[in-house]
Amino acid sequence: MIYRVRHVTAYAYELPVEMATHLLHLTPRPLPRQRVLNTSLSCDPAPARRSEGLDHFGNPTAWLYLDRPHARLTVTADSIMEVTAPAPLPTATPPWEAIRGLALARAEAAEFLFPSPTLPPVEAARAFLAPYFTPGRPVGEAAVELIADFRDHMAFRAGVTTVSTPVEEVLRRRAGVCQDFAHLLVTGLRMLGIPARYVSGYIRTRPPPGGVRRVGVDQSHAWVAAWMGPEAGWVEMDPTNSLFVAEEHVVLGWGRDFGDVSPLLGVILGGGRHSVCVGVDMDEAAVAAG
Amino acid sequence: MSDAAEPVDEMVDGRGHVRPRWRGLLGALSSLPEGGLAARARLLDRAFEEEGSAGLLPSPASPGQRAAGRLDPVPLLLDGTEFAELSQGLAQRARLLEAVLADLYGPQSLLAGGAIPPELVFPNPAFLRPCCNSVPGPFLHLYAADLIRGADGRWRVAADSVVSMEGLAQAYANRSHMARTLPECARAVQMRPLRPFVDAWRDVLQRAAGAEYAGAAAVALLTPGVAHPQWAEHVTLARDLSCALAEAGDLTARGGVLFLKTLRGLQPVRVLLSRVPGALLDPLELGGRTALGVSGLLDAVRAGSLSVHNHPGAGLAEAPALPAFLPVLCRDLLGEELALPSVETLWLGDPASLARYEAAPTGYVLRRAGEAGAGAVEAGGDPRGWAAVARGAASLAPTLVGEHLEPRPVALRLFLLHDGAGWRCLPGGVARVADAEGRSGEISKDVWVLSEEGAEIRGPGALQVPALAIRRAAGDLPSRVADNLFWLGRYVERLDDSARLMRAAMARLDRAPMLPRDLAEVAALSRCLLDAKLITEEELPTSGDDAALRRALLQSGRGGGRLHRLTGEVARLVEGTRDRLTGDMHAAFTLPLRDCRAALMEAATPAALGAALGGLVRYASGVAGVAAENMVRGGAHTFLDLGRRLERGASVAALLGHLLAEPPARVESALALSLELCDSVITYRTRYLHLLQPAPALDLVMADPANPRGLVFQLAAAEALLAGVEGGGDPTLSGWAGRLRREGEAMAAEVAEASDPALAATRLSPRLLSLENSVGTLSDAIGRRYFTLVAAPRLLGVDTAEVPVRGAA
Repeated sequence: MIYRVRHVTAYAYELPVEMATHLLHLTPRPLPRQRVLNTSLSCDPAPARRSEGLDHFGNPTAWLYLDRPHARLTVTADSIMEVTAPAPLPTATPPWEAIRGLALARAEAAEFLFPSPTLPPVEAARAFLAPYFTPGRPVGEAAVELIADFRDHMAFRAGVTTVSTPVEEVLRRRAGVCQDFAHLLVTGLRMLGIPARYVSGYIRTRPPPGGVRRVGVDQSHAWVAAWMGPEAGWVEMDPTNSLFVAEEHVVLGWGRDFGDVSPLLGVILGGGRHSVCVGVDMDEAAVAAG
Repeated sequence: MSDAAEPVDEMVDGRGHVRPRWRGLLGALSSLPEGGLAARARLLDRAFEEEGSAGLLPSPASPGQRAAGRLDPVPLLLDGTEFAELSQGLAQRARLLEAVLADLYGPQSLLAGGAIPPELVFPNPAFLRPCCNSVPGPFLHLYAADLIRGADGRWRVAADSVVSMEGLAQAYANRSHMARTLPECARAVQMRPLRPFVDAWRDVLQRAAGAEYAGAAAVALLTPGVAHPQWAEHVTLARDLSCALAEAGDLTARGGVLFLKTLRGLQPVRVLLSRVPGALLDPLELGGRTALGVSGLLDAVRAGSLSVHNHPGAGLAEAPALPAFLPVLCRDLLGEELALPSVETLWLGDPASLARYEAAPTGYVLRRAGEAGAGAVEAGGDPRGWAAVARGAASLAPTLVGEHLEPRPVALRLFLLHDGAGWRCLPGGVARVADAEGRSGEISKDVWVLSEEGAEIRGPGALQVPALAIRRAAGDLPSRVADNLFWLGRYVERLDDSARLMRAAMARLDRAPMLPRDLAEVAALSRCLLDAKLITEEELPTSGDDAALRRALLQSGRGGGRLHRLTGEVARLVEGTRDRLTGDMHAAFTLPLRDCRAALMEAATPAALGAALGGLVRYASGVAGVAAENMVRGGAHTFLDLGRRLERGASVAALLGHLLAEPPARVESALALSLELCDSVITYRTRYLHLLQPAPALDLVMADPANPRGLVFQLAAAEALLAGVEGGGDPTLSGWAGRLRREGEAMAAEVAEASDPALAATRLSPRLLSLENSVGTLSDAIGRRYFTLVAAPRLLGVDTAEVPVRGAA
């Protein structure tokens, strides 16, 4: 499947911003199942200095430095990529209790076992997951049931939470948005000894023929990847839509929590009050001609 | 176990004989006059107090306690052979830690191979992911280690310090105090000097900064600021290394370069000596509060224009469980045996170590495996997350307690510097004496390394530096320092004005009986006191009832009172400008103020308050005198003086404005008070004897350009200072001051030419009060022009209000 994504972030400031530095995670990450055919990033006004590279987690990152007064800032990211479905979950996965020991021996998995700056351990999150992880149960089987049930437990409701709502609060309300659900699962899985990471990206706007319209379109989207042993590796799950990731998701990058892959972070001098407008357009491109 | 064995005595061996290295010192001590050592100890205490390292304000870290401790008059002695072993062992350890950091921030093969468990790294707040594979080493430039000597006589490393590394300035201060206070002892033993180490350090910094950047800001020491417990150390280090002292707010990163904001504009920084935890250095990339770091700092490091000593990510080397792995790491990474052991450290994720700990848990302190500075923790949770560090008994060193020497446990801190070729150890350091419970206490000792005959080790020759160009300018004064000096000038003057005003009021309230004239003067003075916010509306005297006024004046110098707060502000500003003051000046700015503050707190009677106020007036004159005689003109002096002139100008205008707000019939009393408060009574009498008239009196306190307490004098001085600010005299601002000066002259002239001078004088009141306001506006404009009061940086994109959360993040 080929997708075309345009992500526009527009800041408007009450007073001119004298100086600004921005850290961007807006360029899709190339993956075996995701070929990035074309990607570009533009910034208005043009920055005095711009640098690009990979962050610690291997995500494409850009830094913008603006040193002229500006009253607005618009960052536009355009990308085209070809997405294929990941390998299906193996029928046999290790018992969930064995995952931690396996992960500790592999730095790339071990890193995601530990609490992260915005996701400290929360006992209620462990308790929320615990009924699925009965003794000796294969980790994949437990995850399948957990994801299938998730929408019955949690209501998608915009506006009741913010990017810094703690997981306890999400559990109390039993409602939130994709980011809250991702943070909840990441916290609970880590406490069970299962490495978990936060994935940032997009989900297709139009459902496949005959399918249901997904939640979280026209915006950034977020989901979870859990490490299920050396054979299965990282398995991506979208709790918001109660499904395992197939061909409908485009990955920007991943990290320990939202803070590692926030699409656009900035430190500004001046500016007064500000408003921000974020728009995402994601279309299926015409089928690649041969 | 070590705790079962007797601790080693540094001075006396197991058979009760004095160890050879102590003989020279003991001989010198025994030849001191009777009770001599205790007397010298008191001299040391006083010297420390006078140097002001104790500080006036309690440090926020330990309220009620003074930051600095005592220096014990008996040093800790190390012989040359022992020191050589220690310095080689620590040099090896520094090389090892460097190799460990290079791997953890690079290929991470130690994690992949299981040589270091992930618990030490991934949950560690000092592990800075943005530095991985992107911010090149070297990681360590300076390194400090704490050592204790076990019962078997071997030194062991108890802690590694690569971030704060405090104590180096203290080692130098201790040495100079010892040399001054106990010269007999310093002569009796031959010890290695400390000076070459700091010279070598300066060379390292100069080389790192590059020859082409000889600017004053090429090397800067980043401090968390005046409230930090190590502030005095940072000030001293910056001075000894001749580098700029900067807080995060003084720095800005643009175009991949870090700059210091100075009066002259932005000056590039090439080497940053950081005393701020790495995780706080760059709020954009590392999180943390924006006030403590500089966003774009890591970008400057990546761009190669800046090097940070030590590397921002170096704090990872302080992981409490790491010593457990060093013997194996040393073999694997360096191909050597670890020369200097650590205090026994167990990582409890290892079953054998866990069993060993559980067999004797009281012999250990538990710490988080991967979080330095977190302190001891309670048992609980997964043992893989813990380290257990043995509580070892330290060796005992003779310490003065009362009049006698007693053996007390000591810990030794040594410092190492990478001089480009290899690690060299400071031949000296700081020893800390533990109290009875084994806690490292307030008492420190100098550390003397004895030099063997002819064994003096020479470092590499000094770097060849081209001859310096003659400079007359004060250099690049950071904007924050200029700001602090300006306000220091203003507040010292405000203290002086307040004290004079209160003293005048107290003198009249003290008269018994009070005559109608006294009552009228008290009423006039009360208007001035109210304007200066020294009393409130409710405390104004009403129809002879002045009890509230008396109470308010006494209360003003006590905790929470206006005068008390002012002295606190002055003390804070003195600390904030400390790197611009010599030791003597700092003492002159601090010690009398401390006494005044205490006297104000204790003053219970009008007479005692009067005496305390007199002390404040003398303090202000002292500061002015020291500044006039000891500060080079320009730069720092300009702003201190400017603050003083503007404050006094505003205060004289306000004073005259309030005193002259009387009917013309009462003008004589207003004039008398004006002369008194402007300290001009004697001058007036010399010129005009006892005849008090409006025109000559106002000429003296307003227009006379030779009266340093008069209005025009202040405004003319401000005008000249503003025209001459280095690197940017501002004609607009000096012109502004000039207009105010002419207004002052014009007012005095109008009274002189008036047919009814008394009426003309009393009519000046509103114009004088408006002049006071204009001086305030000018002061604000100076702030905007020179101190760049830009808005504080803010973080976008993570705060609740920043991003609308609809479908997602």
